[in-house]
Amino acid sequence: MKTLLENKTNTVKVGVVIIALALLVTLPNWGTRGMIPIFTLIMIYIAFGQMWNLLSGYTGLVSLGQHAFIGLGGYALAVSSERFGLPLYVGFIMAAIVSFLFALIISVPIFKIKGVYFTICTWVVAHSLGLFLSTLAFVNYAIGINIRATFRLPTSTIYYVALGVAIVSVLAVYLLLRSRFGLGLMAMRDDEDAAEARGVALYKTKLKCFLISSVIMGVAGAAMFMNLGFILPASAFGIDWTISMVIIVIVGGKGTIEGPIIGAVILVMLRQWLFDFPGYSMLILGAIAIILILVAPKGIMGLVHRFTGAEFFSVRRRPKRITEPK
Amino acid sequence: MQSVLSAQDLAISFGSNHVLKSVSFEVGQPEILGVIGPNGAGKTVLLNILTGILKPNSGTVHFMGRDIANIKITERVRIGLGRTFQIPRSFENMSTYENILVGGVYGDNIKEKEAGRQAVEIAERIGLSSHINTMAGRLGLLDRKRLEIGIALASRPKLLMLDEVAGGLTESEIADIIKIVKDIKAQGISVIWIEHVLQTMIDGTDRVMCLAEGQNVITGLPQEVMQSKIVNDVYLGVDEDE
Repeated sequence: MKTLLENKTNTVKVGVVIIALALLVTLPNWGTRGMIPIFTLIMIYIAFGQMWNLLSGYTGLVSLGQHAFIGLGGYALAVSSERFGLPLYVGFIMAAIVSFLFALIISVPIFKIKGVYFTICTWVVAHSLGLFLSTLAFVNYAIGINIRATFRLPTSTIYYVALGVAIVSVLAVYLLLRSRFGLGLMAMRDDEDAAEARGVALYKTKLKCFLISSVIMGVAGAAMFMNLGFILPASAFGIDWTISMVIIVIVGGKGTIEGPIIGAVILVMLRQWLFDFPGYSMLILGAIAIILILVAPKGIMGLVHRFTGAEFFSVRRRPKRITEPK
Repeated sequence: MQSVLSAQDLAISFGSNHVLKSVSFEVGQPEILGVIGPNGAGKTVLLNILTGILKPNSGTVHFMGRDIANIKITERVRIGLGRTFQIPRSFENMSTYENILVGGVYGDNIKEKEAGRQAVEIAERIGLSSHINTMAGRLGLLDRKRLEIGIALASRPKLLMLDEVAGGLTESEIADIIKIVKDIKAQGISVIWIEHVLQTMIDGTDRVMCLAEGQNVITGLPQEVMQSKIVNDVYLGVDEDE
């Protein structure tokens, strides 16, 4: 009986995913002109949120410097396109490669630092990277670069790229959590020392997560600057990106796949509604985040799960056959 | 009896506090070795040395004839050193099944499918079949202690180290735990059992070792150790002359 109910629930979930995907894919056909840029932002912020959540929500590596990869991704796209005349898709490949290499190099010193010092160090790295790029003539100092190839792109193309990035980020986290690697990751999320005592290799798991998170963050960063069409160090390496990610994850629900999706929708919509009052949206979101930390530390998704037991992207493992207790 | 673990002259200090001065002992295969001692005697520190969390200042540990000084924590689990924690540290947002799965997949390095089959069997053995899909955070104390043992068993240990699994349990719950531990020994697994509840040591172990002031003051049959003057003096704080 229970299995039948579970099968029915799973069918409903698959149905909802298919309908949501169909609506998102056909959005440029049925949506208003104003909807496409909003949904583009939502998609990119979903990717940002998923990647920050993967890193901080599961491995406990609270990084306040993940915007380094947004900036690196954006600059990889801008330089490939503007300085080398390469097609934009090559810029995305470069964004992934540059982010991977930088994450690999930087992991050596920063993984030796623990706790709050790690957090501060990641922010310092990101900030220093922005300052360094401001001194380079090659990237036009702090003045920035127009990414002219993006000017000709229809908004629907940019939207589809953003949608692709969001889908890849959600799928990557889902598949990771369903894998053997994800089992260890979830154990680490609950109790790192106990996970190690059970055989989970902490360093290796954290490094893999950091690399995956950084690469997808870099690609999402490239998508963001493809959308903006212009990049300069102050905006590319600004901590605002990471603050947005933190708020998305706290509001939506840390350590869940649904959380960053809910958080990204709320963040972008609130910013749109309060467009004429810049700064207020972050103030309100900050207040919501503080209230949620106090009353519902697991965010909106945690509340939903507590009251309804609902989990949309369930990564739960269940035994194939349960022997009835005697 | 063949020895599964042999520790020689283990010593460890934290600053000027010499927690273990020189501790030597052996665990036979299969055998349940109880470890008692007053608070601060270094029982949990000893267990942390054996699992690799702490490095001793001096002394050696041989497991299955192999010096394990340079073996990492995770590797020690895989070669057969399982443990439980004094305060249950199961993964609260994961189910009983998933918790045991972690033990199999990571501790025994087996495929998830095989670990899944094993997890169902272990859940039945430790009496948690009816809670197999329950989140660990929602289990009662006895069930969480059972789960601790279940996770450790999933790594297919050759030596299981139990850290005060009977603490806080009722008499009938303690009887359940003793039965589970004896079943474990019956499967050929040796056990080091640290405990404050003395009845478990008398009913559930083959030998008992008493630690005091950083040393192994006596090792022997449970009844003999419990009735010895030295244990009365250093552990129970009773002076027979009084």
